[in-house]
Amino acid sequence: MSILSLEFLVLLAVLLVVHYCLPVRWRWCSLLAASMAFYAFAGWVGLAYLGGVTLVTWLAGLYMGRCRRREKEASAEGDKAEAWRRAQKRKCYLTLTVLLVIGGMAFIKYADLIYTCANALYVFLTQSRTPLTAMQLITPLGLSYFTFQSVGYVVDCARGKAEPEKNPLKYLLFVSFFPQITQGPITTYKQLMPQLKSPARFEPQEFVAGFQLMLWGYFKKMVLADRLACITTAVTSGTEMPGWLILLGAVTYAIRLYADFSGGMDVIRGASKMLGVDVVENFRRPFFSQSVAEYWRRWHITLGTWFRSYLFYPLTTSHFGLMLSRWGQRVLGKKAGRALPGVVATFVIFFLIGVWHVANWNAVIYGAYFGILLSGALLIDPLLKTLRKKHHEFDQKLGAKVRDLFRRKPEAVLAGENDAEQAGSTEVPQEQPVKETPRWVRGLCAVGKGVGKGITTALRLLRTWVLILLPQYFAFTSGPAQGWALLKGTFTNWDFSNVKNTLIVTIGMKTSGDGAWQKALTEYRILFIGLVILLAVDLLCEFKVDVNRKLARSFFLIRWVVLFALILSVLLFGAYGADFDAAAFLYTNF
Amino acid sequence: MKRAKVLAGFWVRLIGFVLALVMLLSYTIYVLTPKHDYGICPIMNFYTLPENSVDVLVIGTSCAYAGVNTNVLWEEHGLAVYNLCGAELPYWVAYSYLEEALKTQQPKVLIIDAKASIYTADYSKRGRTILATSGIRDLSVRLKAIAACVASEDFMGYALVFPQLHSYYTKVNAESFIYPPTNGGRGEDWMGYIEMDKTETHQKPSLVWTNIKKPINARQEEYFRKILELANEHGIPTMLVGFPNPDYANDHMYYNTLWGIAEEYGVSGINYNDPDLRLRLYYSSNFADWQHLNVEGSVIFSRRLGSDLRENYPDLPDRRGEEGWERWQSSADAWYVKYPDYLPEEE
Repeated sequence: MSILSLEFLVLLAVLLVVHYCLPVRWRWCSLLAASMAFYAFAGWVGLAYLGGVTLVTWLAGLYMGRCRRREKEASAEGDKAEAWRRAQKRKCYLTLTVLLVIGGMAFIKYADLIYTCANALYVFLTQSRTPLTAMQLITPLGLSYFTFQSVGYVVDCARGKAEPEKNPLKYLLFVSFFPQITQGPITTYKQLMPQLKSPARFEPQEFVAGFQLMLWGYFKKMVLADRLACITTAVTSGTEMPGWLILLGAVTYAIRLYADFSGGMDVIRGASKMLGVDVVENFRRPFFSQSVAEYWRRWHITLGTWFRSYLFYPLTTSHFGLMLSRWGQRVLGKKAGRALPGVVATFVIFFLIGVWHVANWNAVIYGAYFGILLSGALLIDPLLKTLRKKHHEFDQKLGAKVRDLFRRKPEAVLAGENDAEQAGSTEVPQEQPVKETPRWVRGLCAVGKGVGKGITTALRLLRTWVLILLPQYFAFTSGPAQGWALLKGTFTNWDFSNVKNTLIVTIGMKTSGDGAWQKALTEYRILFIGLVILLAVDLLCEFKVDVNRKLARSFFLIRWVVLFALILSVLLFGAYGADFDAAAFLYTNF
Repeated sequence: MKRAKVLAGFWVRLIGFVLALVMLLSYTIYVLTPKHDYGICPIMNFYTLPENSVDVLVIGTSCAYAGVNTNVLWEEHGLAVYNLCGAELPYWVAYSYLEEALKTQQPKVLIIDAKASIYTADYSKRGRTILATSGIRDLSVRLKAIAACVASEDFMGYALVFPQLHSYYTKVNAESFIYPPTNGGRGEDWMGYIEMDKTETHQKPSLVWTNIKKPINARQEEYFRKILELANEHGIPTMLVGFPNPDYANDHMYYNTLWGIAEEYGVSGINYNDPDLRLRLYYSSNFADWQHLNVEGSVIFSRRLGSDLRENYPDLPDRRGEEGWERWQSSADAWYVKYPDYLPEEE
C-alpha cells in the first residue's frame, strides 16, 4: 500500500476515528493494528521478516539492558573482572545481532549481485554449462528503514542510551510505525517511542497542521516530482540530445528527487502529526546549502545522523581510529593526522550510503564521489581555516584603512596642525574628538558589504549546485557509460534549432502534432508555477518563517482558500489516474 | 471549558470545510466533464423536461440521434419525441438511461436502436464511458452504469471521478463553466436531435438480405433483454429500429440475431435498411458519412418514422398546441428558422 493510494487515506481516516475514540493509554494499540494492516497489504512474507527482525532485536535489546545492569552492579560491588566480562559479552552479542540484522538486509538487497557472483564462481570452478538456480527473494517493504531503526535501538540499549522495551508489541510498533516504514525517516527509540506509547491528545491546530503538511507533500510529489519525472525519462531514453536538454534533465532530476522524497516525508510527518506523533524532519531545504557538507546535513538528515551515530563515532573513536590518528600525526603532521580517522570514516560512510541505494557501479561512483569530496574537504580543512583567518584579518585591515581614509578630522585639529607646521613647533596639539566617518561612506560600505555578501552567497550556492549536480548524472542513468556520455554531452551541441518539438516530447507528450505545443505549454506552466510556489515556501522557511504553523493559526477563511487551492491542484494537476504514468516514490524500494 | 469551546469551534469549522469542499469538488467535476451534445447533454437536458411529457422515447446510438429528427416529428406528426442517445451507446448504458427515464416519464412508445448489437467489445472505451455515465443524476444508477461499462479493476477510478477525469483540465474553456450546458448551442428546448450538416456520397450497399445470424456480445444481449423486460414491466410497447446506413452489410447478421431475441419478448420492429421499404433515401445525397443520415436524410427518414408510428401506435396523441408541450414547439420553431427548406408544404 503506497502512501499515495486511496487505501492509505481510508486506513488513515478510519484510524483517526478509532485512535481518538480510544483512551490515551490504549492508543498505541490502534497504531499497531494500523501498522500491521498496512504492512500486511505489502505481503505476508515481508510481515514475517519484519516480525523476525523485531523479535531478534527486541531480545537483543533486553539482553543488552540486562548486561548493562549486571555490569553496573559488578562495578558497584568493585568486581572489575565480572564487569569487564559482562561488557565483553555485551559487545560480542551486540556485534552478532548487528551482523545478523544488517547481514540479512544486505543479503536481500544484494541478492541479485550475490547470485551473479556466485554463479560466475560456480561456472568458473565446475566448468558447468547450466547456471545456478536464481534466487527469487521478495524485498520487504521499507527493509532498510526498519533494519536501521532496530539496529539503532539495540546499539542504544548497549550504550545505555535507551531503556529496553519490555513489551514486544510496543517494540513492534516502534519498528513498524506505518506512516514512516515505507521511506523513513529513521528515528531513534528515544525520539519516537515515548510518543507512540502515549501520543499527544487531540489538538485542533496540530491536527490541521498535519493535514496541511500532508497536502503539501502530495502537491510536491504528485504535481511537481511526477511531472519532472517526464523530463528525466526523456533525457535518459533519448539519443543525440542537445547539451541544454541534458543539463535541464540533470537539474530537474535533482529537483524531482527532492520534491519526491521530501514530499513523501511531508505526507508521513503530516499523517503522524494528525495522530499526535511528531516525526523528525528529514529535509531542511538542501538546495540552499552553501557547501556540500551542509547539503548532506540538510538532505536525508536521519540517514546521515544514523551513520554518524552508529558508524562514524565508533570508527573514529575505536582502537583502529586512534591508531590511524597516531600514524597520521607521524606521517602527515599533527593537524592532518588528527583529522585522518574522520577522513577515512567519512569516505567509508559516503561510500556505504552510495552502495546502500543500489548495488551497481553508478552507486559506487555516487558514493565515492561524495566520499572523496567530503573527506578531502576534511583533510584540507586546517589549511582552509588558516587561509580564512588570514583573509578575515586582511579584510578587517582593509576595512579599517578605508574608514580611516574617509574619516574627517575636525577643522580645529587641522588648523592646529597647520599652525604648528608653520611655526615649526614640535608640540603635539591637544587631542580633539575625531568626527565620525561620513554617512555616505558608511552607507556605501554597508551596501558594498551587503552586495559582497550576496555575491559570496550566490557563488557558494552555485558551487554547491555544481558539485551536487555532477553525481546526479550517475544517479539517474542506467550505467556509468551513459552517465559519462551525458556529462560530456552537456558541454557540446547546444543546438536550439528544434526547441519546440524537443520541449513537447520532453514533457511526455507522445506526439508533436496539432495542439501538442499548447498542451506542452500548459504542462510547463503548471510546472513553473508549482516550482515558484515551492521556492517561495522554502525561502520563507529558510528565513525561519514556519509557514505551516502560521497557516494553521491563521483566520479560517484564509486557511480554507489555501487548502482548497492545494486540494484542487493535487486533484487536477497531480500525475495519477488516466493519461498519467504515476511514478512510485523513488525511496520506497530501499 | 476553554478546551471544549476550542473543540466545538473546530468541529463546526470542519463540517463547514467539508461541505464547502464537496460543493467545490462537485462544481469542479462539472467543469471538467466534457459537455457534448452526443454525450451528457441529452441526459442532463432530459431531466429538465416536464413530467410525463415524452410520448416517444428514443434510446440509442449516434445513428438514432442523427436520424430521428424530433422537430420534423413534432411539426408534421405532433409527436413529442425525445432522443435520449449517446455516441456508441451500448445496451448496458441504455438500460440505465431507461431506468432513469422511467422515474419521471411514462412514454407511450419506446424506440430502441438496433445498432448497439454490432458492438463486440465487452466494455466501453474511456471517453465513451465518461460521456455516457457522467450525466446520470441518480448516484446509484450512475455507479451501476459505470460498473457495467468498465472492468471491475477500473471501477474505482471512474466512481471517484477524478482519476479518470482530472486530465481533462487541458480541454476546459469558458463554456465549461456555464450551467446548465448549452446543448451544443441549441438552447434548453433541444430534444436530442443532432443535425449532421454535410453530405458524403455513397454507393448503394451491396446488401445480401440473408437469414444468417451472427452472435451478439453476451453482455449486450444481457442488457438488451433487461431493457425489454423493464419496458414490459412498465407496460411500454417497444419498437426496435434499424437505422438506415450505407455500411450495413455486416450489421445485418447481428440484426437478425437481435430481432430473434426481440421476438421472444413479443417486440416488433422495423429495419429501415430493408430495400423493400422504399424510403426514398439516396445514398449519394442523404448521408453525412458511412453510417449517419444527414439533415435531409433525417427529414425524409423522420417523416416515414412518424407515419409508421402513427400507423402502429394509433393512440399516440398529437400534442401540438397543448399546454405543457411548448418546448417541443419552441425547439421545432428554432430548427426550422435554421432549415426553412424542410418546412412542410402547406396543404
